[in-house]
Amino acid sequence: MNLSDPARSQRLDALAAEYALGTLPARTRARLARAALGDAAVASAIRGWELRLAPLADGVAPITPPPWIWQAIAARLGMTADPTLETSWWTRVALWRGLALAGFVTAFALAITLLAPRQEELQQPIVAVLADKDGKPALIASAQRGERFMTVKAVGVATPEAGKALELWLLPTGAAPRSLGVIPAAGVSRVTLAAPPEIALAQIPALAVSLEPAGGSPTGAPTGPVLYTGKIERMY
Amino acid sequence: MAETSPDRKALHAASRNERLSGLLSRVALKDQSAFAALYEQTSSHLFGVAVRIVREAPAAEELLQEAFVNIWHHAASYDASRSQPFTWLNTIVRNRCLDWLRRRELLTVPLATEEDEGGGFEPPSGDPTPEEMLLNGADAHAVRQCVETLDAGPRQAIALAFYQGMSHAELAKHLRQPLGTVKSWVRRGLEKLKRCLDHAGFARN
Repeated sequence: MNLSDPARSQRLDALAAEYALGTLPARTRARLARAALGDAAVASAIRGWELRLAPLADGVAPITPPPWIWQAIAARLGMTADPTLETSWWTRVALWRGLALAGFVTAFALAITLLAPRQEELQQPIVAVLADKDGKPALIASAQRGERFMTVKAVGVATPEAGKALELWLLPTGAAPRSLGVIPAAGVSRVTLAAPPEIALAQIPALAVSLEPAGGSPTGAPTGPVLYTGKIERMY
Repeated sequence: MAETSPDRKALHAASRNERLSGLLSRVALKDQSAFAALYEQTSSHLFGVAVRIVREAPAAEELLQEAFVNIWHHAASYDASRSQPFTWLNTIVRNRCLDWLRRRELLTVPLATEEDEGGGFEPPSGDPTPEEMLLNGADAHAVRQCVETLDAGPRQAIALAFYQGMSHAELAKHLRQPLGTVKSWVRRGLEKLKRCLDHAGFARN
């Protein structure tokens, strides 16, 4: 960016203004943000406008976010010293409770799954958000068509006590739950599917996670309380 | 101009900024209790900002989480000589929300109905209009006088874009004006705002 050229610097300022205001379309917005990383003139034009418009944000009335958000942030950052996570509700959760609440979260997860990745990754996924009985999301499960695994990301899971493990289940219509194996309480993991998801999950309306002895249920059926449940949503 | 409330507001803002600066510098050193205090003191405001921009509670909830994760990781890059802490935090949240909104417009995803039914956001009853927020926000600052010099069209367009994240196309639809008209309202409005602010000595950088 040649600052000695007044027309260019004026154009840069106009772009920076609309960047800070928010009206730039996605691609221009991304291009300008990238340019700011290597070009001090661009960075300074943007910062100038962010400062100019900043006082306007004071006029916004605060809205208290739901309390689980703090817990989710702490969980994402691996901050374990959070006393609010040590509650006992999850020892008494009925299997299907939370499904309705999780539904609206799922809609959002679909949007995220579709929007957040690069466009070439948008391949008709199957998604489920597993939430606790209060609708607080705990795990996001997704599977791409044609692949043989499901990716499970823990976004707000209470770490199980020693000697216990989390087990993931398929909940087929009119049949007993089928195990997908034990999953970790943090991070991203993969569970193997017997067939590509469009087949393996064809008659499966929902997933659930139960608390089991370390190593998984000894009986092949869930023995512990169900902690999280979520409806499977298909994008095709 | 012998109003007392702008002064009180300015004082309040100054002490708030001092407090937040201290917290941010401790967060930069990975102090978890400072991070918790920072969240406690700013999350309601930032959530208010996010919810109004993305207009969907679930999206705002996710974006607020991402913003705070980002703040935790990047607190060390906060430079007190360049911006006030509150401005810095606000900018992180606004940019995240705007990125999300604008990116979504690239992909027309047929989820509108579901979102409209499920996570739609209704502004709290008694919520001021974007234009009222514009004037409230500008209280205590030279900004208010400058905002008042804008014509009604540009003022409304800038308010809706700033507080509700509206794109040019949405502004045109909402204000029932041709796209070219709202684009020029926004552009000329911002130019006028800048001239006025710079004239009033609002050059903070």
